[in-house]
Amino acid sequence: MTENVLEQPHTLPKVKIDSPTSEPKWIRRSLITISVLFLSLFLLLPLVMIFMTAFQKGVDVYLASITNSEALSAIRLTFLVVLIVVPLNTLFGVLSAWLISKYHFKGKNILLTLIDLPFAVSPVIAGLIFVLLFGAQGLFGEWLLERDIFIIFALPGIILATLFVTVPFVARELIPLMQAQGQSEEEASHSLGANGFQTFMRITLPKIKWGLLYGVILCNARVIGEFGAVSVVSGHIRGLTNTMPLHIEVLYNEYQFTAAFAVASLMSLLALATIIAKNIIEWRTKEVSK
Amino acid sequence: MSIELREIDKHFGQYHALQKISLSIQPGELVALLGPSGSGKTSLLRIIAGLETLDEGTILFDQKEVVHLSAKERNIGFVFQHYALFNHMTVFDNVAYGLKVRPKKLRPSKKEIEDKVIELLSLVKLEHFAKRYPSQLSGGQRQRVALARALAVEPKVLLLDEPFGALDAKVRKDLRRWLRKLHNDYHITSIFVTHDQEEALDVADRIVIMNEGRIEQIGSPVEVYENPASPFVYDFLGNVNLFKGRLRKGELINGDFSFKVPGSNLDSEQETVGYVRPHDVAIEKEVRPNTVKATVLHIHPIGATIHIELHRPDTNDYLEAEITKEFFTQLAIEKGDTVYIHPKQLKVFVPEDFSI
Repeated sequence: MTENVLEQPHTLPKVKIDSPTSEPKWIRRSLITISVLFLSLFLLLPLVMIFMTAFQKGVDVYLASITNSEALSAIRLTFLVVLIVVPLNTLFGVLSAWLISKYHFKGKNILLTLIDLPFAVSPVIAGLIFVLLFGAQGLFGEWLLERDIFIIFALPGIILATLFVTVPFVARELIPLMQAQGQSEEEASHSLGANGFQTFMRITLPKIKWGLLYGVILCNARVIGEFGAVSVVSGHIRGLTNTMPLHIEVLYNEYQFTAAFAVASLMSLLALATIIAKNIIEWRTKEVSK
Repeated sequence: MSIELREIDKHFGQYHALQKISLSIQPGELVALLGPSGSGKTSLLRIIAGLETLDEGTILFDQKEVVHLSAKERNIGFVFQHYALFNHMTVFDNVAYGLKVRPKKLRPSKKEIEDKVIELLSLVKLEHFAKRYPSQLSGGQRQRVALARALAVEPKVLLLDEPFGALDAKVRKDLRRWLRKLHNDYHITSIFVTHDQEEALDVADRIVIMNEGRIEQIGSPVEVYENPASPFVYDFLGNVNLFKGRLRKGELINGDFSFKVPGSNLDSEQETVGYVRPHDVAIEKEVRPNTVKATVLHIHPIGATIHIELHRPDTNDYLEAEITKEFFTQLAIEKGDTVYIHPKQLKVFVPEDFSI
C-alpha cells in the first residue's frame, strides 16, 4: 500500500441504463404501441365482433341458431371427421417419424418431402385432386358409380380431403424431436431384453408424449377448421355434407349473419380451447426438459 | 463366457471402419479396447453387443455363433457413455426394467425383483436413491445406476462404451477402482472402450490397441507399454521424444550424437526414428561421453515429478524429460541453463512399418 491516499473521485453523473443493448425509451414505447394496436385490430377486434354479432338478436336467437337441425348436423359431421382423421394421422405420424428417425434407407428424403407436400399444395387443389380421381367424370368415377360407392359429395370424400391436408402435423412435430433424442435409450432397452413393442410403449412413447400431444392438438384444430379442400369435395348438401366452416359460409351467403356468427363463435371457442391446451403443453414440455 | 471374433469387417458407406478384426477373449477377462477416436473401437463393441450389424465375419460366445441373434437375445449388459438412463423412471424402475420386461414365464415375482434391485443398488452404494429420478443424480451416480441396471439381467458379458468418458477426473478414478473391484468379485467377462491410455493401463487385464479399423497390438498393460509393437502404439501410450536419424551398423546417428541400438546391425538409407520416453531422458550438468547439449526452456513441477522442456541446438529439436523431485533438487538446474542429455533407452522400428 502506498502512503498517499488516493483522492476520491467526484461522484460520477448517474446515467440510468436498463441494459447495455436496449433501445432508447421512445423507440421501445412506440414499438410496443404499434404491436398492441396491430394485434387488437386484426386479432382481438374480430373475435369480439364475432361474439357481438352472434348475440346481437339475443340469447334465444343464438341458441336457436346453434341447435337447429342443420347446425347440429354440421357439428356432428365435424366431430365425426375429427374422430376418424385425428387418430389415423396420429398413427401415421408416429409411424413415419419412427421410421425416419430410426432407420437409414433410400428414399428417406422423398418420404420427408411427401409428408411436407400438403403444406405446399393449396387445399383447394387437394380437394380437386380427389374430384378428378373419384368424381363422376373422374378416373375411377364410372367404376365407383357401377358399384354404388359414393366418395365425392359424401363422407368418404370429406375424410380423404381432410386426411390429406392434415398429414404433416403430427409427423412434422415428432421427426425433429425424435431425431434430437437419439436412440440410446431404445438401445439400452433392447440390450436389457425388451422387444420392440415393449420398448415403444415403455421408453419411446413416454419420451415423445408431450410433442405427440402438441401435434395432435394442432392436427385437431386444422381438421375442425379445414375449409378449402372440404368445400370442393363436399357438395354443400345441407344437413348432410356440410361441416361447421361450410355451414357458416352457407348461412353467410344467405345473409343470416346472426346464425353464421353464432356457429362461428362456437368454432372460436374451440380455437381458444386449442390455444390454451397448446400453451399448457408448451409449459409442461419446458418443465420436463428442465 | 469366452468371446471369439473372427475376421470382422464393417463399412459405413465408403468408409472402411473395421478391417478383418480377429480377437479372442477368455472367460472372466477384463479387456480394454483402446484407440483414438475414429479407430473403430466403439463400432466393434456395438457389433459384439448386436446393436450394429457387421458386413463379414463371425462372433462366437462360448463357441456358439451369435451373429444372427439380436441384442435382446445375446444376454449382454451394455453401459453407454452418456448413461442412456430412462429419465421418466425412478432409479428403482430403471434397475428393475430388464427383469420387468421378461416374458411372464421367466419373470421373477414382484418381491424377487424388489430384492434384486435393492441388492444391486447397495452394490453400487445408491440404496437411498431408489425413489429419485436420474435428473436428480450426479454424473458418477448416474453411471453407477446404469451399471446396476446392466447387471440386473445377470449378463454373461458386460460391454462398456467409454463408461467414464463424461465424468470429471476425480470421479473417474474412483469409478475405475470400483469397476476393477466389481470385476474381481464377479468375474464377468468384460470389454470396455476407452481413448484414455491411463485408464486402460490401470484397469484392464489385457489391452487391445486399435487404429484406423485395425488392431495394432494386443497384450497386458506391461507388455504393450514396455514393448510397443509399432510406432503408433509407442506414441499413443504416452509422451514420446523423437530422435530422427540414419542407422549406421546398428548405430543411430542423430545430430552430434549417436546411440547404439541394441540387437541391431542395420544400415538404413531412409531416415529412421528412435523413440524415447520422457522418463528415459537422462540429464547431466557436466559433459560426459555420448551426451548432447541442450537448453532448459521450461520447468513444470507436476506433483512428485518435474517435467522439463529442453531444446537441442544441434538438431533444433524440442524434447521433454521427466525426473523426480528429489533428483531435480540434487541437479539444481534453472530455466536457461545448459545441460547434457542422453537417452537411457531408445526404441527403433525398422523402416518398413513406419506410419508416423
